[in-house]
Amino acid sequence: MKLPVTRIQRFSTHDGAGVRTVVFLKGCPLRCAWCHNPETQRMGREMMYAAGKCIGCRACEAACPRGAHLFSNGAHVYDRSACALCMACADACPTQALTPAAQEMEAEEMISIALRDRAFYGREGGITLSGGEPTAQGEAAVKLLAMAKAAGMTTAMETCGHFAPALVAPLAGTVDEFLWDVKDTDPARHKRYVGVDNAQILRNLRALDQYEVRIVLRCILVRGVNLNTAHARAVRELFASLRHGVRVDLLPYHPFGSQKGEQLGREGGGRTDWIPTREEVEDFRREAGL
Amino acid sequence: MEFYTCFDRKRPVRLDDATRAFAWESLHGKYGQEAVRNGAIAMDGEEGFAALPPLAQYDLCIRRIAERAPLRLVPGEHICGAATLGAAMTHHVPATLGGEPVFYSVSHVTLGFDHVLTLGMDGIAQEVRSCLNNPDFTPEQRALDESLLSAIESMRIWHGRYLEAIGETQPEMRARLKRVPFAPAQDFRQALQSLWFTFAFVRLCGNWPGIGRIDQMLGKYLEADLKRGAITLEEAREWLAHFFIKGCEWIEKDTPVGSGDAQHYQNLVLAGVDEEGKEVANEVTYLILDVVEELGISDFPITVRVNPRTPERLLTRVAQVMRHGGGVLAVYNEDLILDSLAQHGYPLKEARRFANDGCWEVQIPGRTNFIYLPLDALRALLIDTLHLDGEPAHFDSMAQLYAAYDAAMRRVVEDACDRTLRDRLDGDGNFRKKQPCSVVSLLEEGCAQRGRSYHEGGPIYTVVSPHIGGAPDVGNSLYAIDRLVFQEKRVGFDELMRVLQRNWEGAEALRQYALNRITYYGNDCDEADAYTVRVLNDFAGMTKKYDGGPIRFPTGVSTFGRQIEWAPFRAATPSGRRKGDVLSGNASPTPGTDAQGATAVIRSFCKADLKRQVTGAALDVKLHLSAVRGEEGVAALIALIRGFVALGGYFMQLDVMDAEALRAAQRDPETYKTLSVRVSGWNARFVTLDKQWQDMVIARTAQEI
Ligand code: SF4
Ligand code: SF4
Repeated sequence: MKLPVTRIQRFSTHDGAGVRTVVFLKGCPLRCAWCHNPETQRMGREMMYAAGKCIGCRACEAACPRGAHLFSNGAHVYDRSACALCMACADACPTQALTPAAQEMEAEEMISIALRDRAFYGREGGITLSGGEPTAQGEAAVKLLAMAKAAGMTTAMETCGHFAPALVAPLAGTVDEFLWDVKDTDPARHKRYVGVDNAQILRNLRALDQYEVRIVLRCILVRGVNLNTAHARAVRELFASLRHGVRVDLLPYHPFGSQKGEQLGREGGGRTDWIPTREEVEDFRREAGL
Repeated sequence: MEFYTCFDRKRPVRLDDATRAFAWESLHGKYGQEAVRNGAIAMDGEEGFAALPPLAQYDLCIRRIAERAPLRLVPGEHICGAATLGAAMTHHVPATLGGEPVFYSVSHVTLGFDHVLTLGMDGIAQEVRSCLNNPDFTPEQRALDESLLSAIESMRIWHGRYLEAIGETQPEMRARLKRVPFAPAQDFRQALQSLWFTFAFVRLCGNWPGIGRIDQMLGKYLEADLKRGAITLEEAREWLAHFFIKGCEWIEKDTPVGSGDAQHYQNLVLAGVDEEGKEVANEVTYLILDVVEELGISDFPITVRVNPRTPERLLTRVAQVMRHGGGVLAVYNEDLILDSLAQHGYPLKEARRFANDGCWEVQIPGRTNFIYLPLDALRALLIDTLHLDGEPAHFDSMAQLYAAYDAAMRRVVEDACDRTLRDRLDGDGNFRKKQPCSVVSLLEEGCAQRGRSYHEGGPIYTVVSPHIGGAPDVGNSLYAIDRLVFQEKRVGFDELMRVLQRNWEGAEALRQYALNRITYYGNDCDEADAYTVRVLNDFAGMTKKYDGGPIRFPTGVSTFGRQIEWAPFRAATPSGRRKGDVLSGNASPTPGTDAQGATAVIRSFCKADLKRQVTGAALDVKLHLSAVRGEEGVAALIALIRGFVALGGYFMQLDVMDAEALRAAQRDPETYKTLSVRVSGWNARFVTLDKQWQDMVIARTAQEI
């Protein structure tokens, strides 16, 4: 069973209890305007090109069967429209200026990487699935989590909550802690900035809350979008209504994801006017009763 | 008065305002500045000085220092005594002839301060006198012991001057000083005064000793005092704080706080088992952690002995102090070190006494003469094996190449050991005469009994430890050759050698490949780690043939700062580094090669059989502040320490990186290539960001959100 992995981060300390190994999977049903990890959004292959690392050695040109790497006057142009994403150029590139956004990896391999840090996990630590949206892999994500549990690790999952209701029960049986994104509590704004409204997400959250799981709410704060009193109060109510809520984390927006966006050949992103000030975050924290 | 921290919360305040003010002055160089002005005692006026034998010259120097060194009494200080002569800070006995220091002093040694507390200096003098009764002693041996007694008498002179200076103004301090350090200490305050006064005298005479197991030495006194209500924990904390603050008396004005430059090897060790195997950690241990947490004093680098049974309370406090950065605390894996010492032939009870030498190399305190020999393994590979400084060598296989390196390194080790043997022993195997150092010999068991000085085989153990430096770079270079030449055939062996001689000129794509596309030591990749592991393990066996002689040659792993010094004399490496690049320190990964984080680094390190590195192997781990925030941060540090112990590490220093460190990373991206930052669920390697984004991350780190 192979899954597309953009990165495996060991010694992660803020993605669930204890020391954890976080597996970032590629693919997400949402399109948040502020996405922090744009390389994990789309399903399927993507090439990342970091122009700053290119030394102009032209190994990519030699490797490419489609003539997608052009060199004129020493400038390197990567023509995405000609590229068939065979990744031959990334394999040839000595500097890692060209890299595939994800690697197909066997579930066993992910588990064995995570198990390497067993000595550091204690009773609490283990594996966290992130992304992207892990449930975009469907049943495969559940299988991976079950394998982790069978190997003696605790499991956590970062999720946007937008998945088929049929996954609720299997996930409840394989995930110890959910790190549940609350993009917005206003359905219209949710649809506008994320691409779908939040009805399905809330239904899944309520359904999962019936099981013995731990739920951490994670709220992205975007100034001028959801950084307001009404949202803060709604978060407060949402959290209070959960039987298995552990805490609420606030994640102030930052524009750092846009550099990865550029490397994927995408426009936009990186809005500095969206960055909340420290005071605004603290105000929100108070309003939300945290 | 804010004591610097790189953590996002302020340091706790528990101490008196007056104590904090005292610390502020001391850390900002007030006393160091005074010492620099005082310089040294001139011996030029001493008639016939030049004609005296060295031992008599030494005794006279110590006598004059005791008589003439300026005294310092700071109003409000709980304990007195001060090393006020600046020449001591340059590793000399602060006595000069014609403006030049007469004698070097001693460092890398931890003295038997515990004897001073329990026997008192008078008790020690009595022991020396009974040794003098030995009818078999030669005149030379008698002279040595007479010199030890002379050191005690000089100390008595200095002591008398302090008593007089205190006068009637501070009757309690005077009463305590009347008793110690010459008589055994009776309570906690006396014990602390006795320890400090002796330490200060040894330093006044130019030496830089480590303190050793301070919580073990002082714990029983505090416990008894607490029981009979003679002191409170708060009072005891103030007193210990004064000890630490006074220990900063050699910090000079222009040395930034916490830079480490002002350190004079005054290491101390906390916790761990005693001779009977019982845990030592006591209230003194916790109070000391309180003090360094509050004041950020890094002048007594502390190493905590940790084992799988270490109480959670202690580890929690250790982690909480570590979060403030500055590298004040490090950890030893106690069980592994005890195994290691036992394998090397120390009886278990003796091994359990281990402390460090004023740095982090392990020794039995108060019984060991110690030096280490820094050896550059990368030079052995690049120059002695590959001959990159002349006509390059050729090898047809990795087996052939490794065998040649191994032989070259063995020659380096044996040359160093043989040189030491020639230098230290005469043709009959007796220790040669060295510069006198009676102030140190006095507190080393064996010297008085054998009538021989610290440098001349007096102490029970004489240890000369060859230390390998650059092992990760040798491992990485061998692995790069294996991949580039033999496995992937990207370049011929001879061609690669010429490329290295050209410092990679004209081969940038190959260099980039070596840099970016090969995984090196420190990423928990078994294939990549295997060469470094082999280099370390094979090195550990290279001194076997010297077993059983009067000098022990256990191995260790270190560079300290030498990787910087060595850089200009090394060639370019097959792993893509240019000539002059600063490479790996101690047993840590080469800067910029470890991309998998702290746990992977620790695992790579622990793959080597570290218990064979008897005097120690050090790993430095850098963590970004974001990894250690909050309660999870404490748990994460504890997890790293527990994992390190479980996996068989030796010594580990954890450092927390702050906004300032990020700025350094911006200026020097090669060194910080793999520094990972994590903000709100987003992660990236810091140096891969544009300047503009880097600035924002720095601002954010500084802003604590
Ligand atoms: S991925 Fe394949 S088709 Fe696309 S540019 Fe690279 S080599 Fe050419
Ligand atoms: S192979 Fe890589 S470094 Fe070389 S020209 Fe292509 S992108 Fe640039």
